[in-house]
Amino acid sequence: MTQSAAPELVAHGYHDRRRPRWIELATSADHKDLGQILICGALGFLFIAAMQLILMRLQLLVPENTFLSPVGFNRMLSLYGATSIFFFALPLALGFFSYAAPLQVGARGTALPRLGQIGVAFWVAGAVILYAGFLFTPSEAGVNPLAPLSESAFLSNNGVDAWAAATGLATLGFVLLAINLVSTLRMMRAPGMAWRRVPLFAWAATVSSWLMVVIGPVFLAALTMLMIDRNYDGIFFADGSGGAPLLWQHLSWIFFTGAYMLLLVFAFGAIGEVFATFARKPLFNRPVTMAALAAIAVVGTLAWMQNMLTAPIGIGWMYFAMLMSLALIVPFGLVIFNLIATIAGGTLRMRAPALFAIGAVSAISIGLAAELEQSLVAAGWHLHNTTDATAATHFALIGGAVLGGFAALYYWFPKMTGRTMGELMARFSFWAIVVGLVLGFVPLFLAGAEKGQVADAYKYFSGSGLTAYNVIATIGVVVLFVGLLLTILNAIFSRANGAPAGHDAWGGDTLEWFASSPPEPHNFDVLPDVRSPRPLRDIREAIGHRSRRSEAAARESQPVA
Amino acid sequence: MNTLLWIGFVADVILVVAVNAALFYAVRRFRSERGAAPRQLLSGRGLQFRVAAVLTIFAALLFVLGVVFTGKTRETPSTGEAGLAAAKTEPLKIKATGQQWVWRYDYPNGSFSYYKLVVPAATAIELELVSTDVVHTWNVNDLAPKADAVPGKTHTVLFSSEDEGVYEGEASTLSGQSYAAMRTAVEVVSPQEYEEFVKTEKSEIEAAQERVVGLIENGEVP
Repeated sequence: MTQSAAPELVAHGYHDRRRPRWIELATSADHKDLGQILICGALGFLFIAAMQLILMRLQLLVPENTFLSPVGFNRMLSLYGATSIFFFALPLALGFFSYAAPLQVGARGTALPRLGQIGVAFWVAGAVILYAGFLFTPSEAGVNPLAPLSESAFLSNNGVDAWAAATGLATLGFVLLAINLVSTLRMMRAPGMAWRRVPLFAWAATVSSWLMVVIGPVFLAALTMLMIDRNYDGIFFADGSGGAPLLWQHLSWIFFTGAYMLLLVFAFGAIGEVFATFARKPLFNRPVTMAALAAIAVVGTLAWMQNMLTAPIGIGWMYFAMLMSLALIVPFGLVIFNLIATIAGGTLRMRAPALFAIGAVSAISIGLAAELEQSLVAAGWHLHNTTDATAATHFALIGGAVLGGFAALYYWFPKMTGRTMGELMARFSFWAIVVGLVLGFVPLFLAGAEKGQVADAYKYFSGSGLTAYNVIATIGVVVLFVGLLLTILNAIFSRANGAPAGHDAWGGDTLEWFASSPPEPHNFDVLPDVRSPRPLRDIREAIGHRSRRSEAAARESQPVA
Repeated sequence: MNTLLWIGFVADVILVVAVNAALFYAVRRFRSERGAAPRQLLSGRGLQFRVAAVLTIFAALLFVLGVVFTGKTRETPSTGEAGLAAAKTEPLKIKATGQQWVWRYDYPNGSFSYYKLVVPAATAIELELVSTDVVHTWNVNDLAPKADAVPGKTHTVLFSSEDEGVYEGEASTLSGQSYAAMRTAVEVVSPQEYEEFVKTEKSEIEAAQERVVGLIENGEVP
């Protein structure tokens, strides 16, 4: 009897029909698999980007260094920009959005899973093209390849074409992922999950996805024009024949400024979740915080001309850019105030996610304040394209994408793998990143603002008084790299060897902690009716209530004596 | 220009100190203790309005200061008593052409110089920036605001300097291979020296051109 029952069970068993893990991953349209592919890929590219940054910093270690050739430096710079933006920061944010946001709103999948899958495939194709380009000739045109330098008249090899194809495919992938997220978060929320009860991170996913749906096509249009110019004798960015070099600047800066805002919205969403969970408090004033995140996305992107203060555009446009940049003080200030107020009155447990989130708020505040000075028009004329601008961007984006992204990684890692990342290694990693960030970029603030060291240059001259700043900055970047590496190694080791975590590793209040760790392919067997922004806390309270009541009943029913 | 840099710096310090002081106070004060229960505080509407009002006033104040001091920077400098006589009514116009990877300066009398720009002291200078190839940023930080030379556009920069001396500058927009080597210098001299410089420059250029033309006419290779 028993012998005949067993084979039948196996024949219908779900698990045994599965193919090898890598085939499952490569063919999966599940948002959790897509999210993990993006996150793992992003961490790999973070390692590569950090190596490229170190190589550039070694070139700038001493004046008039010849470690890298001028062309080699420009190639490294172009690769670093593309890698850090398109293959680390944006996919990390979209990976966490894809992974966690559908779980948080109680969706059993995504609305357009195949679209998300195609998005990831495009992103992978973009990465392959960028680094296949590395085998012949990478782009030499810089982080944002300003036309006409990026035109074939000045850079006729295939580097810029490869750059445009790579970033274009990645951006197309992001747009498809964003469309999937927008429709999922719109259509597939659990019963009772009204917008006013949606977790902050899922709201950040909505705002960011809308933003990507708007800015992505703008950039794709610019890249298409660039490709037509380069390969089919187009004149979009050529002066004198009806085109305009400034057109590229407008279109590309709309995208890059929007992407910058997207990363900060991502970081604040993750920090909000972490602070609320670890202070065991609800998010302070959530409607205002949600509105402020949306305002950051809109107003921040409208400030794109802040990057064009030295370009021949009218002074009125510069004042408009300054107005938008300064208006950002209000939503950014309110978000940061509410995040800090979320800690206030709580009982903060200083585990790794909380530590990284605190560091992220601090670093972002420094970066944004420095950007603010850049936006005052006449001060911007002075500081534009100096290392002061480089340092401001790095403080804000390393704060957002690295410290904020790592806060998200430490926070959701138990959900993804069922294991917790090592706490001690997290602390070493955190302090190395903080020390590296300060040593690596504070000297650049000083060199840029005081001595006017220019950005993106492959050398500086002796006698310019810049050597000390650059030596410290190079040391700082190496320390920063060690910090990044520690967290990446921590994630690799903890995948198999971390302390086992239950379904609710941190005592979270949002629905992703209701699923098992890692979640089943369908996410949830059952879903609670959502009655507040903190459904899990409601469940815990109801259970506590019931057990207290039954204890009391048991006491009363016990015979005295 | 320096005033606005200082205003921006003070605003930065205020914001950074406020955020980080509040953050670290909250973190230290509200570390978890055994038995402490968190206050389930949801919102403080009055507090939120006050914070928003303070931030709005701060931003508005910065905007006004930004417009005022940017306006001051943009004012056309006037040529002083000691300045060049020819530029008393309107600024001395000099054309600066950016090309990979050198600046060429064309003076009103038809002479030109590469790399080094010579200008008279205490005189309003109007620099017309053009580019023959890619975007270059003319950047002499101690003298004038940065400005881009974009192909197909003319971008003017106004400046004047009372102090004679040499001001160094570097390009500050990536313009290709030798971008970091694309430097320039502005030498501020007395108006008499300037007059002499452009006159010598012009005669030397003409002499050189005549010599080349003469050589070609004689059938020699220059």
